[in-house]
Amino acid sequence: MIQLKNIDKYYDSRFQRTFILKGVNLEVKQGEFVSIMGPSGAGKSTLLNIIGLLDEASAGEYYFWDEPAHRIKEKQKVQYHRSHIGFIFQAFHLIDELNVYENIETPLVYRGVKGKERKALVADLLDRFNIVAKKDLFPSQLSGGQQQLVAIARAIIGNPKLLLADEPTGNLHSEQGEMIMKLLKKLNEEGMTIIQVTHSKENAQYGTRIVKLVDGLVQEDFPVENRK
Amino acid sequence: MLLRFVIRNFKKRPFLNFIKVLGLALGLSGILFIALFLKNELTYDAFHSKADRILRFTTTNSSMFGNNHFARIYNSEQIPDLAATFPEIETYVRLAPMRGGVVMHNEQYYSINEAFVCDSTFFRVFDATLLVGDKNSVLESPGSMVITKSFAQKVFGNADPIGKTISLPAGQFYGEQTDFTVKGVMKDFPQNSHFHPELLTTPARGEISWWAFTYLLLKPNANPKNIEAGYAEFLAKISDRKEDEIETKAYLQKITAIHLHSDKLREIEANGNMTNIYVLSVAALILLLISMSNYASLNLGMSGFNTNFIAINRVLGSTPHINLRYFAAESVFIVLASIIIAFLISVPVNAVIAKYFGMNLFHTNSVLVILVVIVFSFLGILAGLQPVLRQSIGKIYRPSRNLFHRNKITINRGIIISQYTFAIVLIAAVIVISRQTHYALSNSMTPKDDNLICFESVHASVQQKFELFKEELLKHPTIESVSAMMEPPGGEANDQFGYELEGHEPPTEESQNRIGVFPCDYSFASIFNLEFLAGKNFTESNADVEGSGEYIINETAMHLLNYDDASQIIGKNFKLFSPGTPIQLPEGKIIGVVNDFHLSSIKKRVEPLVMFKRDKLWLLNFVVSYQPGMRETALADIQSVWKELFPAYPFSHEHVGAMYRNVYRTELLQARLLTIFTIISIFISSMGLLGISLLVAQQRVKEIGIRKVNGAQVSEILAMLNRSFVKWVIIAFVIATPLAWLAMDKWLENFAYKTGLSWWIFALAGALALGIALLTVSVQSWKAATRNPVEALRYE
Repeated sequence: MIQLKNIDKYYDSRFQRTFILKGVNLEVKQGEFVSIMGPSGAGKSTLLNIIGLLDEASAGEYYFWDEPAHRIKEKQKVQYHRSHIGFIFQAFHLIDELNVYENIETPLVYRGVKGKERKALVADLLDRFNIVAKKDLFPSQLSGGQQQLVAIARAIIGNPKLLLADEPTGNLHSEQGEMIMKLLKKLNEEGMTIIQVTHSKENAQYGTRIVKLVDGLVQEDFPVENRK
Repeated sequence: MLLRFVIRNFKKRPFLNFIKVLGLALGLSGILFIALFLKNELTYDAFHSKADRILRFTTTNSSMFGNNHFARIYNSEQIPDLAATFPEIETYVRLAPMRGGVVMHNEQYYSINEAFVCDSTFFRVFDATLLVGDKNSVLESPGSMVITKSFAQKVFGNADPIGKTISLPAGQFYGEQTDFTVKGVMKDFPQNSHFHPELLTTPARGEISWWAFTYLLLKPNANPKNIEAGYAEFLAKISDRKEDEIETKAYLQKITAIHLHSDKLREIEANGNMTNIYVLSVAALILLLISMSNYASLNLGMSGFNTNFIAINRVLGSTPHINLRYFAAESVFIVLASIIIAFLISVPVNAVIAKYFGMNLFHTNSVLVILVVIVFSFLGILAGLQPVLRQSIGKIYRPSRNLFHRNKITINRGIIISQYTFAIVLIAAVIVISRQTHYALSNSMTPKDDNLICFESVHASVQQKFELFKEELLKHPTIESVSAMMEPPGGEANDQFGYELEGHEPPTEESQNRIGVFPCDYSFASIFNLEFLAGKNFTESNADVEGSGEYIINETAMHLLNYDDASQIIGKNFKLFSPGTPIQLPEGKIIGVVNDFHLSSIKKRVEPLVMFKRDKLWLLNFVVSYQPGMRETALADIQSVWKELFPAYPFSHEHVGAMYRNVYRTELLQARLLTIFTIISIFISSMGLLGISLLVAQQRVKEIGIRKVNGAQVSEILAMLNRSFVKWVIIAFVIATPLAWLAMDKWLENFAYKTGLSWWIFALAGALALGIALLTVSVQSWKAATRNPVEALRYE
């Protein structure tokens, strides 16, 4: 599904080139749950952003469903964001001005889904995530766990093939974090491909494979044993 | 969803958004009124369908009237010949004014403000709507009168005025009482006409001659230059002189140019002028710039709030298009809200203007209103969108390194500095103009208590009874003094006589051997508190006997007569020769020299003037001063005397102070308008600055908290927060001062006598701007600085 070949990411300052990623090769198959781990500054989030088409690699090739994603235009990226890729973030990044229902609905609006259909889809998800009672609340009125739940609902409502999670439990206490990880695992079991960035070994155990990144290089890449 | 989001976002920061809306609304209302007022000023007399072919004919003559340019001509009897001579002229109409008078109907007197004896061609030249009567025939026969609807209402009520007789009392236009027959009723002239006659009439007998305003209707495509150029030849022919002896020059001015471009003597009504047009245009431009930049600046400041929103939306699959649409929607929403507020402001303001100035600016101007609103909205939406675009363009169109910046505030220093530059220039202008108008009024002939009233241009038969009037009035203890003069206060002393002075070599050219004259009553010098440099006032018992004439001159006249020491000229024999009139003035002596006084506007230099007294002659204007503080009783006394002596004539008088305010009304209006626009501009700028300071304080909450935890005092925090604002105002001051100085220096050039441009004016303007800015900013800074740091840091 995803194939990265020799991905470089660097910034040029006046006299030197600073590499964030250097020669990263990675292949992710459909249905995998990959955890990218590594110390701070290793390039984990940058890699995730490149996979999510939020950032561009400085060099190398990136194939998404065998399409050369490193060559596609802005307009096409929007199509990928709309139909193939969902995101969740450490800081949730819900839209403060919209309530729970509207937040979840937003991606459907951008995809041009009709009102009635939107209503049905959102209602379905609210029900599934057990947050029907919260649908009229605003993000500031929710706990962190609930906010992340909403963020996940928003990320998957468009039925993406790939879910990218940047430290999804980083701002949550352990109990809520566990709840979120279980949900991700469930989604994976239902067929969703997931790539998450995490510091936590424990959280990585929910996935199927771990990629360790150190100083922009893939140091280790191994399947998870004793998956939680 | 777009709208819902916009409204919620609006509610989330109600104060900042309210500032945006209010700033735009004030700007829009101001600009709207300026535009409407300018349109009104610029379209004077354009309603005549032949406006482009109607020209006013005037002349100057270097040996008559001091080469002054009058709005009317004194020899209007030549016009029929002129029209016959020049093929360019289709027809003409002369308007001979019936000055300051009354008309009679059924033994009742009615005062008239403006009335003309005119040619029968009036309705062929001018467009006026006749309600009763036929345009082509109504003025056909001699003594036919057309009155306006409101005048008909005043005189006849609801009765039919046609065929009724209206008489002019003896001495008003003809020597004896003359009857006219009302043949037609016309609509009142529109407000944007340069004249508003209440009645028009054809001559009862004879032809129009002597002074008359003269308008020529030219044939289509005729060249008015031909008439101007051929006038000398024409005049030579009718007066049997050689062409090169003719000193008279002819001028033709388009009727549409009269209101703004004519500053001649004895205009029918006071005209507007271009300076006001420029001042207002600049004010509108400044207002537009300030309100737009204010909106842009606040939007720029708040765009930090949006970066997050843009980033999230991008992740969720929105296109740049959708983001742009959101900001456009927000801009449209703000602009619409401000249009509504502007509408709420404008309607009552328009009502007030209509009430006090008699012009309904909204009436028949809906196209202009809509145009102004559309252009303003368009600019507003652009101004609102532009900084957001510039700020967020990277986030909208290009992936950035850090997707989520939080609340990064961008402040456009340029906007704040230029706003304060305008503010300082405006404040300085207001100070200078107010000072100059105050100077002008305090140098007028208004007494300190303004306890002086004037009966302007009284009727000839009233003039004859001046002595009696004075005598009767002085019986009342409330009355201080009574005098009379040829020109009213604020008027122009334009008449010049030839003169002879003992021991004075007259100038070689005869035309220069003239001096301004000013007939007045004995008490003239005392009632106006004129200061004597030497000599004394008229003696009251003096009679007009050859050899005992008494003359008082002003300081300028003394210099003209080559004296520097006032006491030297006292007692010198002096004689005046009145040109054209058979009236002889007695030879006599110069008995006094007074300080120059400003009878007319201080825009003009004081002319040499000789004052003298002639019984019952040329004393057209009565002035009466009363005991200060006894205004009501004094006016009642004066009225009772007037009613008793002159029952036929309306008791119409004016305080001298008001007459001078009328002389300087342009400047007073400018001062008032500028004050309003300065206040609006400063208000908008301050609101903007308040918003910006709010944003800055919010952005620095954490920094302030950390500084306070580390021991910073409130005063240090305040200084830190206010420092940059102070710096900007100082930069604005540096830019504004030379601009204001240049502009005001130019403005003051209009005056022959003026106040200086002292440094303190600019210092005061700068200090005021700084004070306002500091006050505005400190509200927020104080809140931020005194906040408990724990609160600020808790959530970080």
